[in-house]
Amino acid sequence: MIGRILEAAAGRVSAADAAVKSDDTMTLEISADGETRLAGSCTRTGYLRVIAEGRIGSASASDDDAAGLAARAMAAAASGERLELFFPAPAPLPGVVTRSPAAAGAEALDGLARALLDRLARDHRRVEVWAERSEGRVEVANTRGVLAGYEVSLGGIGAVVEPLGPGAGPPCRGHLSAVALPDLPEIEALVAEIERRLAPPVVDWGGSRAAALPVCFAPRALATFLTPLRAALLGREAWLGRSPLRGRLGERLFSEGLSVSDDPLAPGRPGSRPIDDEGVPSRRVTLIERGRLTGFLSDLEVGVRANVPSTGHGWRLPAQTPRAGYTNFLVAPGTESRAALLSAMGTGLLVEDLERGAGPRPLGSGGAVGFRAPWAYLVEGGEVRGRLPGVMLTGNVIQALGRIGGFGSDATWLGSQCLPSLLVEGIGVTVTA
Amino acid sequence: MKERLHDALRGARAGYAELRFRRVWSTSVLVRGRAVDTATTSDESGGIARCCSPGLGWGAVGFSDPDHLDLSLLRAHELSLAGGSRRPVTLAPIPVRALDLAAAPADDPREVPLVQKRQRAEALAVALLDTDRRIAEAELLCRDRMVETWLATSEGTWLHDLHAEVSVALLAVAEEAGNVERALGSLAVRGGWRAVDAAGMVGETGARALELLHATPVRPGRYTVVLDPAAAGALMHRAVAHLARPALPGADPGPLPIGARLGPECLTLGDDPSAEGLRASAPGDDEGTTPRRSLIVQNGVVVGHLHTRETAGAAGAGQAPTGHARAATLRGTPYPRTTNTYLAQGKGSLDDLLHDIPLGIYVADVLSCELAGDSVSLGAGMARMIRNGNLAEPVKGVRIDAGLLSLLGRVDAVAGDFTWDTRCTYCRDGSAGVVPITTGAPHLRLVDLAIGEGIA
Repeated sequence: MIGRILEAAAGRVSAADAAVKSDDTMTLEISADGETRLAGSCTRTGYLRVIAEGRIGSASASDDDAAGLAARAMAAAASGERLELFFPAPAPLPGVVTRSPAAAGAEALDGLARALLDRLARDHRRVEVWAERSEGRVEVANTRGVLAGYEVSLGGIGAVVEPLGPGAGPPCRGHLSAVALPDLPEIEALVAEIERRLAPPVVDWGGSRAAALPVCFAPRALATFLTPLRAALLGREAWLGRSPLRGRLGERLFSEGLSVSDDPLAPGRPGSRPIDDEGVPSRRVTLIERGRLTGFLSDLEVGVRANVPSTGHGWRLPAQTPRAGYTNFLVAPGTESRAALLSAMGTGLLVEDLERGAGPRPLGSGGAVGFRAPWAYLVEGGEVRGRLPGVMLTGNVIQALGRIGGFGSDATWLGSQCLPSLLVEGIGVTVTA
Repeated sequence: MKERLHDALRGARAGYAELRFRRVWSTSVLVRGRAVDTATTSDESGGIARCCSPGLGWGAVGFSDPDHLDLSLLRAHELSLAGGSRRPVTLAPIPVRALDLAAAPADDPREVPLVQKRQRAEALAVALLDTDRRIAEAELLCRDRMVETWLATSEGTWLHDLHAEVSVALLAVAEEAGNVERALGSLAVRGGWRAVDAAGMVGETGARALELLHATPVRPGRYTVVLDPAAAGALMHRAVAHLARPALPGADPGPLPIGARLGPECLTLGDDPSAEGLRASAPGDDEGTTPRRSLIVQNGVVVGHLHTRETAGAAGAGQAPTGHARAATLRGTPYPRTTNTYLAQGKGSLDDLLHDIPLGIYVADVLSCELAGDSVSLGAGMARMIRNGNLAEPVKGVRIDAGLLSLLGRVDAVAGDFTWDTRCTYCRDGSAGVVPITTGAPHLRLVDLAIGEGIA
């Protein structure tokens, strides 16, 4: 397929690159009333980017019509932007685990989903679970001779637990994903996390309705809290002038213990891959090292515009031009246990999960955002006293990362992010309940 | 395509079988500043084969290639047998009908050259930037889609629909003396580019960004609040209509119970997928049911839910499919989703709502409206103080956080000035995906409401 796509454009363009992604997914859901649904899906999408008379055009299609795809890419190039884009030449690819050989049919998914359901089911709870397995292939090629492909797989499992009755909290969501389906110890860990979130009683907030407090972010909450940082570290945002980190490469902007990287070569994670969607071999990129800004993620286009090499982070999605994005995002852990972080905090909040609340886009105000924290817990004397409803967190995330009071040793993989607990001082807390 | 779908269905062995295939042609032009950043075209197609076996549950198979429909149906049938559902699925009956509405529209966006679309987008962005020297940045996204759908079922239902949608979305950034403010605007219509005149929306969005430069942060407290139709519609959609459909995977909890009182007598709302010419309107839903206007709340009391054939069947006697089965993706399963949610008009004008308010807040733009548990959170993009019955100075950072019943219980008046909100609005609901929606409402007044300060 990928050869036919490039052939269809040959002779009419000065250069072209293409990708084909196929995927076969099976999903099993067990609803709260015990109904089981099984669904499968087979997809294949072709992507083509051409450079014709110095102009760039992109198109994508989900059928096998290579000529039609080429015609639409050419039409896009006719009015496309002028950019001196250079496609990479063939190069040796690193080895990385992107697929689990273990096959998984409906029976295996049902077994895993029921293992999770059985462990979470209680009176006064509404529990739904799902399990999913997909297998696919990614192929990448360009007119300079790159032709590469790799097999991928993804397994996931998740649950929504809704407590019922007076004083019940909001639905509690948790999930796991990796190239292989989770094993029982991983399911037990997910169950333990959900039970830990559900167990504490609701308590009243006796303090001021608005205050600046230390907050310990558990890994799942940290994934949402770092959304503005992830946006700010994209080279495209810096080039566009929207990142508050623009022009500050090499400066120490964050607490000294903060080290952040993106690693497509981490074995067996959802973002693992040996080559990006633009044909650039994958490599680990350090973005922040001991508090100092050391890099941005870039793809070929950002590389040309900003005069830097691509970091191998190009992604292609339907109906979009190639864009740089994260593969596996890692924050380096520290040495302190969760208990030690809470003890160091004294009085403050432990936040297990977060939701983006009302407010501008992540970089709309230079990193200032609001989060709803339905799973926030009052901590006094280093002990969790209970769950606080109606908590909103506000503040500038980029600035807050200069006030980190401690790094947990509990780095946890949540899909394609590996994050520890993080204690941050002086977070704006509003309690509305 | 009709023969291919019917041929495959003739060989299906399940008690009920359904094939849907959809093709979407789209273009997208993004302008940053005065120049086009990206212009792309896409041609995507995909479908789903669903089978429901008597005494068991569903099996579904998504596919890209319509060349092997029989195999997709066979696999869906096998999955329906393998699911081992504890609760047999009952599909509420619908009238069998055949409908072909696939004539190419006169204003087909596929016929407009990409270069012309680029020029249109650039002209709009330049118009915004030239409005005022304080408009420092503009970002504009113009999109169009032609969507063709084929649906056939083993019961004999046949639907073939072709329609166009176009949209323009805009971010305007105003800057003055180090103060930076942003305003969002959008416009989406069913039809081609001739149906859109975005110049007014672009000017209004720029004016809002400029006005925010001189807005002061709101002073937290308790106020009488008047919501404009867009904010009132967003609130009713997210806080009420979302809870009027049976539970979805990974979504908010189950529906509001029929008979429950939600608010005062003046509160009547529903959802109407048959409304003429709106983005979420369709001649048939993704199961082939004829769409119909469905009341959700009448005079403050919950009177109905939005149903697919399956949820209507599970709800038992008296519940019928309402035409709200919607699939969020080409290969997605249809779930009961809102379409065009409306708050029915009351009486009087905006002036009537304002005239006896000595001090209040008028919410003129909504950035977000979310429901978590039974707590509603609404963030305003633009608001004005109300002083002695008149709209006064602009304020920013207005946010409303309240319990659902507490909030709706504070509604004390609904105006008679109903309008549909033509912005480009989408609904995300659990893992059921994202679908386009429209909301419509008149002005709405709430009394003694706590207003907090969000991010200004």
